Amino acid sequence: MEQEVKTFQGGAHIPHYKSYTEDKPIEKMAAPSEVIIPLHQTSGAPCKPVVKEGDKVKIGEKIGDSDEFFSAPVHASISGTVKAVEPRMTYTGKEDECVVIEADDSSQEFEMKQVRDPDTVSVEDYRKCVREGGVAGMGGAALPTHVQTSPRQPVDTLLLNGAECEPFLTCDHRLMLEKAEELVKGAELKMKSIGARRTLFGIEVNKPDAIDAVKEQIKGRDDMEVVPLAVKYPQGFKSHLIKAATGRDVPRGARSAELGCIVRNVGTTVAAYEATVYDKPLIERIVTVSGPKVGKPGNYVIRIGTPLYHIVEQCEITDLEGCKIVLGGPMTGLAQSDLNASVVKSSTGVIVLPPEMVRDTMEYMDCVRCGKCVDHCPMFLYPSEISIYAESEMYEEANEWNILDCIECGICSYVCPSYRPIVHMIQRVSPEVEKLQKR
Amino acid sequence: MTRLISTPGPHLKAEETVSRAMLDVVLALVPVSAMAVYFFGLYALFTIGVCLITAVITELVFRKAMGKAPSIKDCSAILTGLLVALCFPATVVWWKAALATFVAVGIVKELMGGLGWNLFNPALLGRVSVILLPSLFGWLNVQLDGLQPHLGTVDITTQATPLALLHTGEVPFSLGQLIVGFEGGAMGEVSPLLLLIGAAYLLYKKHIDWRIPVSIIATVFVLSLLVGANPLHYVLIGGIFLGAFFMATDWVTSPMTDKGKLIFGVAIGVLIVVFRSIGPVEGVAFSILIMNAFVPLINKWTRRPSFSDPRPAPASAGKEVSG
Repeated sequence: MEQEVKTFQGGAHIPHYKSYTEDKPIEKMAAPSEVIIPLHQTSGAPCKPVVKEGDKVKIGEKIGDSDEFFSAPVHASISGTVKAVEPRMTYTGKEDECVVIEADDSSQEFEMKQVRDPDTVSVEDYRKCVREGGVAGMGGAALPTHVQTSPRQPVDTLLLNGAECEPFLTCDHRLMLEKAEELVKGAELKMKSIGARRTLFGIEVNKPDAIDAVKEQIKGRDDMEVVPLAVKYPQGFKSHLIKAATGRDVPRGARSAELGCIVRNVGTTVAAYEATVYDKPLIERIVTVSGPKVGKPGNYVIRIGTPLYHIVEQCEITDLEGCKIVLGGPMTGLAQSDLNASVVKSSTGVIVLPPEMVRDTMEYMDCVRCGKCVDHCPMFLYPSEISIYAESEMYEEANEWNILDCIECGICSYVCPSYRPIVHMIQRVSPEVEKLQKR
Repeated sequence: MTRLISTPGPHLKAEETVSRAMLDVVLALVPVSAMAVYFFGLYALFTIGVCLITAVITELVFRKAMGKAPSIKDCSAILTGLLVALCFPATVVWWKAALATFVAVGIVKELMGGLGWNLFNPALLGRVSVILLPSLFGWLNVQLDGLQPHLGTVDITTQATPLALLHTGEVPFSLGQLIVGFEGGAMGEVSPLLLLIGAAYLLYKKHIDWRIPVSIIATVFVLSLLVGANPLHYVLIGGIFLGAFFMATDWVTSPMTDKGKLIFGVAIGVLIVVFRSIGPVEGVAFSILIMNAFVPLINKWTRRPSFSDPRPAPASAGKEVSG
């Protein structure tokens, strides 16, 4: 029997360009000669360095931590010598405190030795391992994961996010296909820790092999289920995943735990599993390196802190003139201007867009009120109106049109025939509107 | 040093642009324009040419006067020029067509702030503006009499007033002619079939939505039965197809939501029948223009709640969640 495919209202079908890498098995990328690890990679408080210049560090050793609850520690992703602790250009496009480590000639492989039994490990140990392992949201949000391991409200559903709705990205696809066993075991640990009674795997139907792999792994269980999702952007955004998979409304300001579910990226789930069973901190992740001009596109295991120039070299990207290098997905990721910027915990992809695919930088026009952004907005907003108010800095009016509900998926800018950078305008004025609202 | 582009996201863009959409509408109007040329020969070509040239020059001059860069590239002037031309009979005196185009592009569009800011459909308001000035044209027609070129003979009798014929109920065309093509009225009214083909292209390209044209035509069809007319004659003769598919669907001057589009279309349909019932005047242009003025209000009435707004809970809610 065909299972019902679920989805939400609005959104858009965007060409998904996944064929470059969807059939490429996960592959380890050679270690770079140095890594540049930002001390602030997750939402919440930045870490303070616990190493100094000249220190010898081993792979997996903690190099930064914070006393704040809302923070996740960072670890050395290679063994070597700390070359510097100083501000460097990061993925955000700004300089920020980083630990630079120069590799030595040791093996550079983290030893995967089982230290805990996943079937018997206690919930307390699991929570501690997730915290100490620096596990954070790997789907893009970069929320420290341990803050979500002990919800105050009862939570009935763990919602695993394998939607991967952004074009090009296939890292979660390959992970579900190749690491389904770890994924399901990780889900079990997480379910125990939050007290959920069921797990739903939300996967877009353009990944039938991943759906089959997960189904095979959960065969015979009545507490886990795959929810096939329509291929539509932004299906993988938390609010829309909840709505599609559980049918629950997501009111303004509600945290997902208050709706009885916790949403977790599939990659994060496996990272939390490895942190618990092998004491392996989050020092590397699967990154999709893709684009029509990439010589060797693929799904690579890349160390946190690996500079872009190393990836460009390893993947044989030869001509970058006029290209855009995006860290993350092409809809919400950040374009990089400096190849010294490095991969962080939330970097789902390194996408190289050739000049002919780069969104034209031509001057945009006035809104022609075609209503396409209104048709497609998954939040049912009026991006056209909001953009006009944002442009004229009319914050009160923008607020009245619910600018703060925007999830910044970027569909409005994508569909706008006047080329208006709507989501960028919204991002620019939202802080001002927030101030106004607090007053 | 390699040049990397680092503008803000999203980094992909749908292919559609304003100029591409405008060009598509022009393209969609080519079949009916060709039919007009077939019927009216050089007169049709001449009038279309006058309107296109006037539109482009007017836009250029007004933008220059307001210190704005030229915007010929967005193709909206070309489209407006063509639409104004199609609202006239082919043998219209050229100064009338030119003045209507001037009003459409210069006053209704550019002076209101340019494309996107006009409240009224430029082509239609331009077209009706010259109806409001009969004494001016009485005078102009005398002054400029020798300047109207003679470009062959056109059978003026059948072309004159098909709407008047509709009023008397004696339509000298077969149903087939009415659908495929007949020499009557304005150039854009000669072939509902070719307009429909153009509209199908625009629907396929998703430049227009079915709701506005379908609600207009359906409303007129149903109401024409009430006023005792032949509904097929009623919708096929006159400017209903041109208005419903190419004027009322104008992005700038139509509502944004689906519900709003239906309200807009039905109201236009009602007004058309009211105008036509009052007398032998074509009410399509006035109906659309009147409803253009209501668009901001319709948008306000039909505003939908945000995804984040609390919505009425279904009866069973609250039971399943806790468990």
